[in-house]
Amino acid sequence: MSCRQWLSSAARQCQSALAQQQPRTFSTSAPVAATRSLFHDNTLSSTTPNSRRPRASSANPSEALHGLLTDGLERGGPLSAEQQREVMEQQQGGARAYVRDLRTNATTENYVRQMPRRWRIGELYAPRDLTPAEMKKWRQGRRPNKDVVDMLGFSPLDNYRNFSLISEFMTTMGRIKHSDDTGLRPVNQRKMAKAIRRAVGMGLHPSVHRHPEILRLSRHGLPTSAIPTPSDPSQNRL
Amino acid sequence: MAARSVSPGGALLRASRMFALPSPIPPPPNDSSAGTNFNSDTATLAFPTHQVITTLSSSRKQGDWGLKRPLPLKSTTKSSNPMLRVKAIDTIEQITDYSSATDHGITLRKFQELGMPLSARRPASGDMKDTTSTMNLPQKSVFEESFDMTDIHPDKRAEAMDSRWKFTGPWLAGMTQGEFNKWLAKHVRPKRPEFRQFLKKKIASELHAAAAKEALDKGLEQPALMDASAVTEDQLIDYLRKLRHDNQALYDMVGQFLDLAPLAPPTVSQTGLPKEKVSTLTFNEMKNPYAERGPPITHPSAGLSYLRTSMYMENHPIYGPQKHHTPVVARVLRPRRQAQAAAARLGVAGFVVNTPLGDTGFNSRSGHAVFDKIDPTVEGGAKVWVQAQRASVDSSGRVVLTVNDTTREAQLVAQELLGEAVCLGVQPAENEMNKRESASDIRQRYRAADSPAMSSAQDYGLRE
Repeated sequence: MSCRQWLSSAARQCQSALAQQQPRTFSTSAPVAATRSLFHDNTLSSTTPNSRRPRASSANPSEALHGLLTDGLERGGPLSAEQQREVMEQQQGGARAYVRDLRTNATTENYVRQMPRRWRIGELYAPRDLTPAEMKKWRQGRRPNKDVVDMLGFSPLDNYRNFSLISEFMTTMGRIKHSDDTGLRPVNQRKMAKAIRRAVGMGLHPSVHRHPEILRLSRHGLPTSAIPTPSDPSQNRL
Repeated sequence: MAARSVSPGGALLRASRMFALPSPIPPPPNDSSAGTNFNSDTATLAFPTHQVITTLSSSRKQGDWGLKRPLPLKSTTKSSNPMLRVKAIDTIEQITDYSSATDHGITLRKFQELGMPLSARRPASGDMKDTTSTMNLPQKSVFEESFDMTDIHPDKRAEAMDSRWKFTGPWLAGMTQGEFNKWLAKHVRPKRPEFRQFLKKKIASELHAAAAKEALDKGLEQPALMDASAVTEDQLIDYLRKLRHDNQALYDMVGQFLDLAPLAPPTVSQTGLPKEKVSTLTFNEMKNPYAERGPPITHPSAGLSYLRTSMYMENHPIYGPQKHHTPVVARVLRPRRQAQAAAARLGVAGFVVNTPLGDTGFNSRSGHAVFDKIDPTVEGGAKVWVQAQRASVDSSGRVVLTVNDTTREAQLVAQELLGEAVCLGVQPAENEMNKRESASDIRQRYRAADSPAMSSAQDYGLRE
């Protein structure tokens, strides 16, 4: 049997399988039922090897062996019409499950986006904290109520080369952030602004957008903390 | 006796709410140090700052909460749990500032329902994450005598260093650089003369001890106690020079003088031992349970539970003593997102809880569990059964609960108690009270009955 012949026979079987399948799934009227009863024997005989497989393995070893052998034979040869139908149904079912998973995932993502609060361990919640009105408040960033420079005790002017720090106090359009947004006290705000101007003036930091190194990291989805920390600038001072 | 000496007016004032209400404690710090400025000023605080007050139902109907003026009935009589917090008994606008306190009140009730003791070593939260090697280490109750020393003689405070939880000085490991600098300048530098005096006292006692030992060896009379003023400046400078070359002794002196909270022993990189060994060693050798993660801001039990152990058995009326404590239902606050490597967050008794570590159902890879998705069709949100394992209060006053998977049997027994499941094929008894009937059901029942549902004059033989 040539290759082409084998293919054409398989195609014919496929067509006949579709022809058998359609009336069974879509109609239960009398003539169709009659054709189904005609095909009934055929379908039974063709499905037995598959349906017998688990039963045979448990009941009788010799029968199981026979089942295995016939399976092997069938696996090698072309699929019967009914088997092809089963495979197609399985594939369709898998696709359906996949679509369902995707839909569940999308729903979850949508809901998670509506819940911006990042629950920290040990926090307390009451039913009111789960309401949309309360959740909305967690979406907008607030002005920090502590002076970061005072808290960490560093000098902004010594850190003009630290582009992740400089970027933090600039907008994406390259402007220096207002102290309303930074939460720095006037002295530190002035120092920070001077450090930014110094970095931009020396060409160490772009004046129109974020630093390319930070952009690279954000493109790879890495946090800014992935940047190796520069050596302590106070030690570099002469 | 004391009450008798107070005048009648004074006694009345003392018994009133005005004096019985303690002043509020500072709210928990929000984590500006964590770099997040996303917060809500109306969210439920991690611990209550105001006293919760309640009243009897008869008084509540009249608005009587024992305060200066009756409270509005419209907003105080609807709740089934009368709990209020009073922010101000009287304001300049002549109103009483109050709000509902059911959030913290009910949380306390729910926590006490768990029947958990509070343990001294706090499990992980925030930056300090628990690992599988530390999660099952044994815990001790906060009420152990060795940890819970509050009444200490002022001279013995240094000796009781390892059994205290309250220190006047700060915990250095928890300070930022800026805070540390400020503290040095403001609180430590002015104390220089005091510290010299403290050292002189130390020198005097050391010299006395040496002299006494020598006298004992030679069989002489014990020398008199040496006074700190007898120590010369040269002796002090010599002693200071010695201290500068002995880090441990210097830290001991400074720590004792400033009453610093204890710090954790050396880390992995300092010892060169394997990580697991160090964590176990740290656990065994560290005497003060708060050295690693800072001393608590309240009593380490926070008044939540006075149980000392969870080693008790629960008894079931039919099945007898139970191996496990009753599991509880946890709310899935945030589903697990495997793509973002974010674990699920659970809510147990109103507290946010991490999912258990190790080989549990919460860590299985398949993404089809309840806590992997949000299903809007599930009424009230997804819930899972968990077994509360241990609880403790962290250094910022948050309650850190640890939960584990529950066993099938324990869950079934608990569900049966709630009437949600059936054990051993026994049908739950039909309860007339719980049976739900619609209006049409009731109508049909009355129609089907032989005798009239409502008695009439005919029944009493008044009319033919």
